[in-house]
Amino acid sequence: MTPEAVAPPAPHRRRSRSPLAVVCTAVVALLAVAAVAGQWLLPGWADQDLATGVSMPSAAHWFGTDELGRDIAQMVVAGARSTLLGAALVAVGSMLVGNVLGLIAGYHGGLADLLVRRWADLLLALPALLVTIVVAGIGGGGYALAVGALVVLTSPADIRLVRSAVLEQRHRSYVEAAQTLGLSRTTVMLRHIWPNVLPVVVANTLLNFAGAVVALSSLSFLGLGVPPGAPDWGRMLSENRTLLYDNPSAALVPALLIIVAAVALNLLGDRLFEAFTDRGRS
Amino acid sequence: MSAPATPLLTVDGLRVASVGGERPLPLLDGVSLTVAPGESVGIVGESGSGKSLAVRAVVGLLPPGTRVTGGDVRIGGTDALALGPAARHALRGRRVTLLMQDPFTMLHPQLTVGRQIADGLRTARPRGRAARAERRAEIVRRLTEVGLEPETADRYPHELSGGMRQRVAAAAALAGDPELLIADEPTTALDAANQRAVLDLLRGLQRGRGMGLVLITHDLRVAFSACDRVYVLYAGRVLEHGASAALESDPRHPYTAGLLASEPSVRERYAALPAVPGFVPAPGERGTGCPFADRCAHVAPECRTTDLTLRPLPGEDRSSACLRLPAIRGDLTAERVPEPTPEVAEETAPEEAPALDVRGADRVFRSAAGDHRALRDVSLSVPRGTVLALVGESGSGKTTLARIAMGLETFDRGEVTVGGLALPAGARPDVADRRALAERAQIVFQDPYASLNPLRTVGATLREALVAASGKQPRARADAAVEKLLAQVGLPAAYARRRPAALSGGERQRVAVARALAARPRLLICDEAVAALDVSVQAQLLNLLTRLQREEGFAVLFITHDLGVVRQIADRVAVMYRGEIVEQGSTARVLDAPAHPWTRRMLDGLPQSAGAGTASGAADA
Repeated sequence: MTPEAVAPPAPHRRRSRSPLAVVCTAVVALLAVAAVAGQWLLPGWADQDLATGVSMPSAAHWFGTDELGRDIAQMVVAGARSTLLGAALVAVGSMLVGNVLGLIAGYHGGLADLLVRRWADLLLALPALLVTIVVAGIGGGGYALAVGALVVLTSPADIRLVRSAVLEQRHRSYVEAAQTLGLSRTTVMLRHIWPNVLPVVVANTLLNFAGAVVALSSLSFLGLGVPPGAPDWGRMLSENRTLLYDNPSAALVPALLIIVAAVALNLLGDRLFEAFTDRGRS
Repeated sequence: MSAPATPLLTVDGLRVASVGGERPLPLLDGVSLTVAPGESVGIVGESGSGKSLAVRAVVGLLPPGTRVTGGDVRIGGTDALALGPAARHALRGRRVTLLMQDPFTMLHPQLTVGRQIADGLRTARPRGRAARAERRAEIVRRLTEVGLEPETADRYPHELSGGMRQRVAAAAALAGDPELLIADEPTTALDAANQRAVLDLLRGLQRGRGMGLVLITHDLRVAFSACDRVYVLYAGRVLEHGASAALESDPRHPYTAGLLASEPSVRERYAALPAVPGFVPAPGERGTGCPFADRCAHVAPECRTTDLTLRPLPGEDRSSACLRLPAIRGDLTAERVPEPTPEVAEETAPEEAPALDVRGADRVFRSAAGDHRALRDVSLSVPRGTVLALVGESGSGKTTLARIAMGLETFDRGEVTVGGLALPAGARPDVADRRALAERAQIVFQDPYASLNPLRTVGATLREALVAASGKQPRARADAAVEKLLAQVGLPAAYARRRPAALSGGERQRVAVARALAARPRLLICDEAVAALDVSVQAQLLNLLTRLQREEGFAVLFITHDLGVVRQIADRVAVMYRGEIVEQGSTARVLDAPAHPWTRRMLDGLPQSAGAGTASGAADA
């Protein structure tokens, strides 16, 4: 055998960052800071000033105040927590359920696959938001119940996604080669298949996150999410819509934030999804 | 070749670059060629040579992210690059037409064959009974021209075999009576038995119609058998050009000579194939000077500094880009030392525990579309330390058999014993059986791009295989073992830190071989393990496998459709046809005196050397 001419490793080319992706990342980062530290940074969000009552935006109150004289600007920052953390919980919870059930169904097949698929089909046939409203209504509302119901109802799409991604990988030669080495099925599943499925899962979780922001805000708007008085974008939108002529920003700012958060997360998720599927193809 | 008439196609200094990245990467770097009316021209090159890009630039169908950055393309005197999209579109089908590689995806699956040919005809849509009958007669005439029955007109693509589809595609491509047909790897996706028939058909059509033909292929033999002249492309440059016969018998560039020598022959076995070392450099890693310099045995310092130019050779109608041609001319044709094909008994001697023993195996795949009998009463045996080649067309059941032996697929009936371990019929082997199987048999798959986990480094992949075979061991010892495995397959130890994406196809297959060797198996199954590689790299891998087999003494089940590879590597051959073993015996006997008609058809289907192509357009389909 003649020694081979050794080529240097191909330089790893980074894809050029689009300005849109940078903006989306910045928005999501800002929202994350507000969600984690907002109530701690602005402890004055709950201060009422009944003498002032509702007021238009001013130098003292950038977005004006609500009926109780609370500062809207501070409230929306404080309100990021319930909207975003709850939505993040929904997305992560659904991802976990989807990964476990999707991996088992996709890799083992047979009866496990049949049962998981029927379960996912059943849940998919239910209108998620309506069921959550009914469940929350019967259970007397409450934030935890709403988040739990959304996890259960978001997961079937994740189960299907993971299952099909696993099926795609399962017959690749590298998976079969791992099987013929005599490795256990669990090892093959967790060490070889799962890491190659993960990128798609992560991207999808961002999309679920965006959906959950909207869903949770809707529930709060309907009075089924956070308790009254709590800072929450959906709740603020619902309570302040009567102030549209006195201080439009009291309702419009939280509404706008719901839209901005959902759009930024969606675009970021889409971009990640494309980047990952692109990589898989080349 | 000195035709005074306007050439059909003139390409002059054509440059194409990929424009997606931070800086444009040159893919084609000044390619020039001409095609005269009624002439057939071959463009030969390995993957990455830019041969497909060149013709795609000609017809204006470059893939997204690539752009013509210089040069001139004239089709019958018209400056094709200056035309707008509509004018270029009008050129396609009428003056130039393209025949693609994959007969399974290039036809519209929901239209009948007749409709697809009618779409390309120049005449207007028929009105009235007489016009329709006339059109029908024209379609039948076109089908007859490519050697198909008139009834084919009413059939759908999925009802036809690959060879028949390629004929339909040719008829559809020629419906507009173009002056120039460009065929891009038209035989690559076909079985051995169909390759020559399709080449003969193209050659016959080209002669019969007096049109120009450009044939793109990675296979020098294919080009020689069907073309008057051949251009040899490498890394976006033309390295040599000349008449087929001259190039075949007397190459004037080390690369052409290397390609010719790397090709295994179906007639002769060699002690080792003189493989060209290394692989084609990626775009962007091509320095100045000759792109082949890094792999060339005759390289001199000036090769890397002097700009490459294709120079006509004095007194001859050919040209070469080799600077050192005068000095090395006598040494170009590599010595290939013929070796007798091993003499083995016709029948395998009964053995205590052969590496693989299959008796009367059956496998039926059931589906809504009907049952498919993949294996019918298959019996074969691979004695310890010997090489058995399993040949047959695609879909003949070769891979199913390999997968059964590896425990990846079940069988319905019969006995399958791997190194003394009997596999259960009708069920996947359990964990204990799979562990036992792992030390008896290992497999190397066909696709180098799918056979390694893209996220794990080469070292991690090999360590995992070592641990699976011989249990946990200290890191230092595992690393030493990985290094030894890499050395065995001819890769530097530093490759342990690389991920598959940083490896070429041939290097990935070497890693796959190393992974299989980690288990120290008694049987190595190679499922078309070299089929996806370029000829020069394929030769490297064949040499490697032969050497390892001799050193380690394992048995090999080598699945392939390439009879040249069989001659080079196998002691014995089993021929499979539609799920049955139709012929079995020593390599010398089966290849030199085939008994079964199917084996003879495969041997006859190989492209013949220059000038041997016949003008029969109606060879059997």
